[in-house]
Amino acid sequence: MTIHTPPAIPSQLQSNAAAGGGFFRLLKQREYGVLALLALTLIVVGLINPAFVAGGNLKDILVAAAPAIIVGCGLTFVVLMGEIDISMGALMGVLATVMGQLTSPSHAHLPVGEGILITLALGSLVGLINGLLVAYGRMPSIIVTLGMMTVLQGVNLILINGQWITDMPAGLRWFGTGRFLAVPISIWTTILVVAASIILARETPLGHRIYASGSNPEAARLTGLPVRPIKLFVFTLTGLLTAVATVVSVPLLAVIEPGVGKGFELLAVTCVVVGGTSISGGQGNIIGTVLAALLLSVVRPTLVFLKLGPSASYWERAIQGAFILAAVLLDQVARARSRRGKAGA
Amino acid sequence: MNNSFLQVTNLTKSYGGVHALSGVSLDIKAGEIHSLMGENGAGKSTFIKCLAGAVRPDAGGVAVDGSTISPGDIRAAEAAGIVAMHQESTAFAHLNAVDNIFVGREMKRGPGLLDRRGMERETLALLDRLGESIDIKRPLQELSLAQRQMVGMARALSHSSRLLIMDEPTASLSARETKSLFRVMRQLQGEGVAILYISHRLEEVFELSDRVTVLRDGRHVETRPIGDVTRDELIRLMVGRELLAESRAAGSAGEGAVMLDVHGLTQPGVFHNISFNVRAGEVVGLAGLVGAGRSEVAASIFGVDKPESGTVTVGGKPLPPGSVKTAIESGIALVPEDRQHQGLVLPLTVGSNLLLSVLGSPSLGPLRSARKEGGIVGDLMKDLTVKAASSNIAANTLSGGNQQKLAIGKWLAMSPRVLILDEPTRGVDVGAKAEVYRVIRRLAAEGMATLIISSDLPEILTLSDRILVMREGALAGELSRAEADEEKILALALPREGASV
Repeated sequence: MTIHTPPAIPSQLQSNAAAGGGFFRLLKQREYGVLALLALTLIVVGLINPAFVAGGNLKDILVAAAPAIIVGCGLTFVVLMGEIDISMGALMGVLATVMGQLTSPSHAHLPVGEGILITLALGSLVGLINGLLVAYGRMPSIIVTLGMMTVLQGVNLILINGQWITDMPAGLRWFGTGRFLAVPISIWTTILVVAASIILARETPLGHRIYASGSNPEAARLTGLPVRPIKLFVFTLTGLLTAVATVVSVPLLAVIEPGVGKGFELLAVTCVVVGGTSISGGQGNIIGTVLAALLLSVVRPTLVFLKLGPSASYWERAIQGAFILAAVLLDQVARARSRRGKAGA
Repeated sequence: MNNSFLQVTNLTKSYGGVHALSGVSLDIKAGEIHSLMGENGAGKSTFIKCLAGAVRPDAGGVAVDGSTISPGDIRAAEAAGIVAMHQESTAFAHLNAVDNIFVGREMKRGPGLLDRRGMERETLALLDRLGESIDIKRPLQELSLAQRQMVGMARALSHSSRLLIMDEPTASLSARETKSLFRVMRQLQGEGVAILYISHRLEEVFELSDRVTVLRDGRHVETRPIGDVTRDELIRLMVGRELLAESRAAGSAGEGAVMLDVHGLTQPGVFHNISFNVRAGEVVGLAGLVGAGRSEVAASIFGVDKPESGTVTVGGKPLPPGSVKTAIESGIALVPEDRQHQGLVLPLTVGSNLLLSVLGSPSLGPLRSARKEGGIVGDLMKDLTVKAASSNIAANTLSGGNQQKLAIGKWLAMSPRVLILDEPTRGVDVGAKAEVYRVIRRLAAEGMATLIISSDLPEILTLSDRILVMREGALAGELSRAEADEEKILALALPREGASV
């Protein structure tokens, strides 16, 4: 067994050489591909219309991307575990309604702080229930969260009862429009969530175990890892982050109505998958999700700048859907290739 | 108890009424290599799972230095120094060596963060101790099998393990890699680590072990110093049973025309140059250890897999490789090993299952007819003596034996000429076994060419007119009904030194 490698060659170089051609390395490390596409879009549209890359517009793009990035961070961990959550859109709708009704002067009129705390707790609770059903009820997560989505949609309609909330108090509005050092609160929040998620994923034992459990659940069990509590954690985290995203994005809306959060789950799932996290678990990272969220967020302004007019939002959906199909296809190609590579080794 | 540090007492475990382990006791001495042997199904894997805490035994326990270890608790077992080196499937393919070694027991720095540098340093030190140099940043899936094994060894070492359990570690290693593994094992032994070694390769067992323990039918048969036992004795201990005197009705087999002819079938790395034939009315047994390539040969004959080279001829007509449809049309039927998933559609009714192979065939006409179908189903159920309240109950309510009859019966509706049965009585109780045998014999008497794959040696001996033995992907020999016995089969089936796929 002559597997002694000459120590002179740095290991990083070796692994790059082993990964094969550049294109296939891109398949494996999707974040570079996404970054390249994002940069390309910004440069091309920026050349056509310099206003596109002006500070104000970029800031708007970031603010628009914030909810997808924040929730995408939590969802990345869920997908790394080999699970899925599609209840975030409906949850955001309910949380928006609850937050609005708790704080609005024409409803409960609680202090804004209390309203937000209750919103965060409620988001976590829904995530916890998802997690309990998946980890301990041993139900497939797609079914659990589909059911949860439907329940939440119904609950939202009951809560709103036809009365849109139009009088969000100024304290609540501040979470959408407020600034700290000239940077919107939602961007600060996003930076914090992303930083914490990266640390969780890369620098903590828990993150380490999330990757391991998703990579090979049976091996994780045989290693004595607490797989079910870890599952519970990732679903609860996603619920909590959905609440965080609600707090920093909904106050920007003019009114809270039953359509809030509609289709948001598709956007979040697309970000995670396009960002290179494998739908079968064990592989992926936060950066990929963040870059994919940014890429998806420049789609609409790009279409607007290209003067597609009112059909821009139809095109946006079509492009979003095409992205997710392309990403899953790339995932399959990369996996088939690595299987062949293994068989040939 | 001399210098043994670990006692296993009266370990017992059953799965759904089947005794996998019945009161097995064993002691392990520090620094010994202790081999664990037994036929397929003797209880070896259940034993090591209980020992390593992956499975909770029904009774009995494990004690290290006199203190009992909490049963069914992997972490408790590891804390006590019992570490199982699992087969390749239990490693984390996406993670690198460092992560594989430390997952679950990460080294930390500061406020609960990973100490990556520390873990990398420790990993290099462990690999260095093993005399190995592996790229610790590469995911395991990019490493060779031998390198993955070394990562597994390093993981075991990192637990400061006192007993290392190795389950067929050389199964997929080359001779050279095996030598290197043995060197590392001896080194660990020198450091006082005990090794429980599971292998079918007698040469390895004789080369490495200090003592050997034989399990049979879930029971402890014998533990002996390796110097006190010969190869033949060991085989006899594993086989154990007095040879079955049960006489087979003398058949007229061997006279019929060649129905299935397999020539030079080769699938690199799986099986090599397999040639044999089966005549009409003949029952041929295909014996060998699990992993010898028997089921894979069957899958190639049936067109599930496409072999690299070789031909399959049925009734004089060659089959195109890799086509299940043609295989079935030319009259081959395969009853797979996993009848619950591959052989039957369990939620469907007994009747629907029996009709699976003929649904859509022209003989039934364009529309389904309850009368025609009922006739076929009724005849089959009577022929096969399927015990079911009616043909309208779900197949999953039947016993294992009756399900197996359905899995066979499903093919009979299309009147096959060649029947291949893979482990036809696995998980079937003794009474139903006899009925399945009766069905097989009757079909043979009616002219069916039958190929039976079985790890149950008495079963092969009871049913076969002729026995082929596979070893590591090749045909190791052929035995006639008259000359075959369990010891001869096992002697052919067990791997030899230097012979690897």
